[in-house]
Amino acid sequence: MISFSQVSKRYPGGHEALTGVDIAIAQGELIFLTGHSGAGKSTFLKLIAAIERPTRGVVSVSGQNVGRLSRRAVPYLRRNIGLVFQDHKLLFDRSAIENVVLPLDIAGVERRESMKRARAVLDKVGLLAREKANPVSLSGGEQQRLCIARALVARPALLLADEPTGNLDAGYAADIMTMFRDFHQVGTTLVISTHDDRAIAALGGRILHFDHGHIAEVNP
Amino acid sequence: MTGWLRHQKRAFIVALRHLSTQPLSTLLTALAMGVALSLPAGLYLALDNLGRLAGELPARPEISIYLAADASAAQKAALAERLKKPDIEGARFVTRDQALAALASEQGLADLAAGLAENPLPDAWIVRPRDATRDALIPLHDELAVLPGVAETQLDSAWAERLQALLAIGRTGVWLLAALFAVALAAISSNAIRAQVLARRDEILVSRLIGATDRYVRRPFLYLGAVQGLLGGFAAATVLAGAGAILRGPIEQLATLYGSAWRLHPPAAPEILALFVFTALFSWLGAWGSVMRTLRRVEGPG
Ligand SMILES: Nc1ncnc2c1ncn2[C@@H]1O[C@H](COP(=O)(O)OP(=O)(O)O)[C@@H](O)[C@H]1O
Ligand SMILES: [Mg+2]
Repeated sequence: MISFSQVSKRYPGGHEALTGVDIAIAQGELIFLTGHSGAGKSTFLKLIAAIERPTRGVVSVSGQNVGRLSRRAVPYLRRNIGLVFQDHKLLFDRSAIENVVLPLDIAGVERRESMKRARAVLDKVGLLAREKANPVSLSGGEQQRLCIARALVARPALLLADEPTGNLDAGYAADIMTMFRDFHQVGTTLVISTHDDRAIAALGGRILHFDHGHIAEVNP
Repeated sequence: MTGWLRHQKRAFIVALRHLSTQPLSTLLTALAMGVALSLPAGLYLALDNLGRLAGELPARPEISIYLAADASAAQKAALAERLKKPDIEGARFVTRDQALAALASEQGLADLAAGLAENPLPDAWIVRPRDATRDALIPLHDELAVLPGVAETQLDSAWAERLQALLAIGRTGVWLLAALFAVALAAISSNAIRAQVLARRDEILVSRLIGATDRYVRRPFLYLGAVQGLLGGFAAATVLAGAGAILRGPIEQLATLYGSAWRLHPPAAPEILALFVFTALFSWLGAWGSVMRTLRRVEGPG
């Protein structure tokens, strides 16, 4: 489903975040990205979602060379990818459910249908009772779950999560990891960057260990 | 409902929400647009009224024919005969004595007339042509001018033509002003929309990350521009209605003093509609340019 061949990424300013990365990820896999801060995990995820473009090499997603996508085509790629951001990127000018509905709104789904689907996914992440709350009033863990709900509401085949448990208590982190396992079990491909070694041990999956822009694959 | 229509509806609702969350800046922008527009629109209405007024005045042109002092009786008779033809509605003969008497009765000219040793004025015909258009007047005038016994002729349509020429200049001026103010309108809208785009920076960036197209992001701002323009048009209409209400009394009083029942003529429905279309269109255009530029600034070249 995803393949990197000889991919390097150099940011303007000269720092090479990824160097000669070669990797293939099959549909339905559960992948963990580990490694020190600055190793290139976020860059790897951004290349998949065409948020950044490779300096060299080819990143392909579902057969599309995403590094070469036109500006007009990028939105359609992103609609098939659920993104969970470390900093959530929630909108504080609207309620929790309005945040979750946004991807469906963008895809042009009918309002009543999209509200129904948003409620279903809020229920799944345990936030249905807070649907009308402003995200500001939610705890860090709740905000992260809200972000996950938004990433999942359009039922993407691929979920990318950048340190989704990075700033959460251990209890919340375990909840979220369990949620990810459930999605994996229904066939979603997940790529999750994390520092949380215990979670990895508990869930299994394949580990890509990053070190200064290189991948050293570690199988559990 | 099709997806396209659903997107339009959503964008429209979002635009209204943006406007209503910033009522003060919405109001001020509408006011700026309205005041700017009331100038060309007001001038247009003033000229329209002036044109109507000119149309009601007896602006029929006249041709004055001055007879030569040595014109023979036969020549005079032939001329009188010519003036009975159907291309002439009526003709009035003014003898040189009548002309002198008229001159003497003019304020300030009595002394001059009294001081004259003899009457220098010729006999004259004042002719009213049936067809008052310029194309008919000139050949008639030229024909009459060369008849035997005619010393001089004068085509007296000058003041009507001058008024028409002034009105034409005025109308051109209105269009020039309108073009200028269209630019001003687009600039005001552009500025307002730029502020809105910058205020929605987070929302735009997040939407882009989860698959929003350019059009999806742009659309509410374009509606915002159009609606803001409509509000500007409404403000302009209000300013003009206010000015009309203030001016109506004095103008109609003035007309009464001149024995006229003339009334101020308000704009017709198509003209009001045109104002709104104009404001919405140019405000939309301003929004378009502004959104494109500001989005590029917000999102980077990506
Ligand atoms: N937008 C950017 N501009 C310049 N350098 C960047 C940018 N994003 C990341 N980097 C650099 O690239 C390297 C890899 O970063 P990142 O992919 O965020 O690592 P990780 O997510 O593993 O911490 C780091 O050295 C970081 O400083
Ligand atoms: Mg990172």
